[in-house]
Amino acid sequence: MSIFGEIIGTIRRVSPLPLLTFLAVTGALLLFPPLVDSPYALHIMILIFLSVIMGESWNILGGYTGQYSVGHAAYFGAGAYTTMILMQFREVPPWYGMLAGIAVSILTALIIGSICFRLRGPYFVLASIAATEILRLTALNLKDFTNGAEGILATDIPPLQFGSFLVTDFTTKDPFYYIGLVFALAVIAVTWIVQHSKIGYCFQAIREDQDAAHSLGINPSLYKNLSLAISAAFTSLAGSFYAVYIGFIDPTTVLSLDMSVQIVLICIIGGIGTIFGPVVGALVLVPLSEALRSNIITQGLITAGLVNEDSPVGQFLKENLAHAHVLIYGILVVVVILFMPDGVLGFLRKILTGKRRKAA
Amino acid sequence: MDSPSLQPLLLFVQSLISGILVGGVYALIGIGLTIIFGVMRIINFAHGDIMMIGMYLTFNLFTLAGVDPFVSIAVCIPVMFLFGGLLQKLFINRILNALPQNQILLTIGLGLIMSNTMMLIYTSDYKILTTDYSSSSFSLMGISISQPLAISFIITAVITAVLYWFLMKTDMGQAIRATAQDRQAAQLMGINVKRMSIIAFGLGAALAGTAGALISPTYYIFPQIGSTFTLKAFVITVLGGMGSVIGATLGGILIGIAESLGAVYISSGWKEVLVYVIFLLVLLFKPSGLLGKSRM
Repeated sequence: MSIFGEIIGTIRRVSPLPLLTFLAVTGALLLFPPLVDSPYALHIMILIFLSVIMGESWNILGGYTGQYSVGHAAYFGAGAYTTMILMQFREVPPWYGMLAGIAVSILTALIIGSICFRLRGPYFVLASIAATEILRLTALNLKDFTNGAEGILATDIPPLQFGSFLVTDFTTKDPFYYIGLVFALAVIAVTWIVQHSKIGYCFQAIREDQDAAHSLGINPSLYKNLSLAISAAFTSLAGSFYAVYIGFIDPTTVLSLDMSVQIVLICIIGGIGTIFGPVVGALVLVPLSEALRSNIITQGLITAGLVNEDSPVGQFLKENLAHAHVLIYGILVVVVILFMPDGVLGFLRKILTGKRRKAA
Repeated sequence: MDSPSLQPLLLFVQSLISGILVGGVYALIGIGLTIIFGVMRIINFAHGDIMMIGMYLTFNLFTLAGVDPFVSIAVCIPVMFLFGGLLQKLFINRILNALPQNQILLTIGLGLIMSNTMMLIYTSDYKILTTDYSSSSFSLMGISISQPLAISFIITAVITAVLYWFLMKTDMGQAIRATAQDRQAAQLMGINVKRMSIIAFGLGAALAGTAGALISPTYYIFPQIGSTFTLKAFVITVLGGMGSVIGATLGGILIGIAESLGAVYISSGWKEVLVYVIFLLVLLFKPSGLLGKSRM
């Protein structure tokens, strides 16, 4: 009950202007699919929502509690695999699979947490990677259960029906769009609550100084595990959503170190420990990597006359640039850490306040 | 190796020896990581990717100029040393005082750039470097020993011995050790710690690149091979104690043996799980590593 009281109390303190902007953007996003009748635009938006969910959920553990897990693929993969195994081999509709995935993820998180949270700093990072690698190798080796390296391909998605009433049928992109939007808004709301509630203050106290927080009566291991459980639950949600939307999972995509790194990068690039940092990160990363993947950049260079299509350089770019969308992640993270350690959001904020100061 | 006629003891000795031979190369990768950590307190997540660049360098020398992979070390060491020094000067040097998590992410980013640049140039196809002795082996007291592994082990042993001599006996080696022990005190004693950092990173990269050259006849060469070896290098250095060169040598050989015995007695699919389980157990029960007290 006290938690609800707290939430209502904090909602009262919100200033109206950001809230109105937020509601306006949400309204525009709700009207997006009927107005923009393009499956590709919807696809990009869905990927952005997915990245927002992944980034925000990592943010709760990494940004607010200061525990830099580079093993979030474990929870993403747990959600994806639970949903897919139930859907493909047991014909359970993905909605139930998603809930089962969250349960499995929280359980996994508590086991991994009980090992990793005894360690700090770089040792914690290494342990979180090792735990995830163990999961990846297990998924690879338990062939009867997970199909091993072959992965699981979704043949058809059983619709969710109550009697004869069809709730979702997943034949178009629209249901994915709205589900993704609702999940993304939910995880943003949870992050907002975390930032403004007492639990969130405990998280942030641990981030600033674990020993000081402990001496003030905050139980670090309790709050770290709580933060990890919340974070893992939403990461698992992203995993289930990814599995159903893409329709194919295998250990080297959903349980890999690359996936863990990608989850961290969304947050780092946008701005760590801020509510809208991961949103900015997703808005930067997804369109950029999609532009590379779909060869828009090469086409642009060719039509702009910068590169001749038939020249060796043009041919090379056309063939290879599409495979290099991860390269952009690498370059971005190096640039962000060297030149904008607070992320794009922090960088913009610094420029704006700098200008204001100059004006004054 | 898995023929049923083989005596159980012979099988054990056989897998023990092949584990030690592989472990020698692992030790080389681990020593590089541990020197970098010792001098700069930075965990280099691009270490396996640097090793991968060494592999491609050797592969190119072999296919374009016909240089034997073991001879190509003579090129690999100076080139990778310069590459490492350059990385330190351009990137690592700027984040020496940043948050540890940002240091980790920067090296992850550098590793991503390296592996994806190589993928752009060479595509992600698996490349094989086949020499006429790649699959040949000789028999010693009834135990068959792979020839490329044996040669690489001997080279590893020589390099490690030279490295010990360098760190223990030369002025520069002592300056590097002093920087690792206490950066500020070393600076007060007139040691150019910035230069030592560049040399240490160069040394680490050279060792990783050499390890890449040594394993290129026995492993598939592809751009994403780095992350597996980065993780392995962490396991090795944590096992031996972060910053301890002797520890990393010991850790490398132990991990080689664990993998080899795991592959024979459990299954080749699960052998790496065994490595990570050992890693977590060491982190939990002896986080300072087996030889944690000594530093370099």
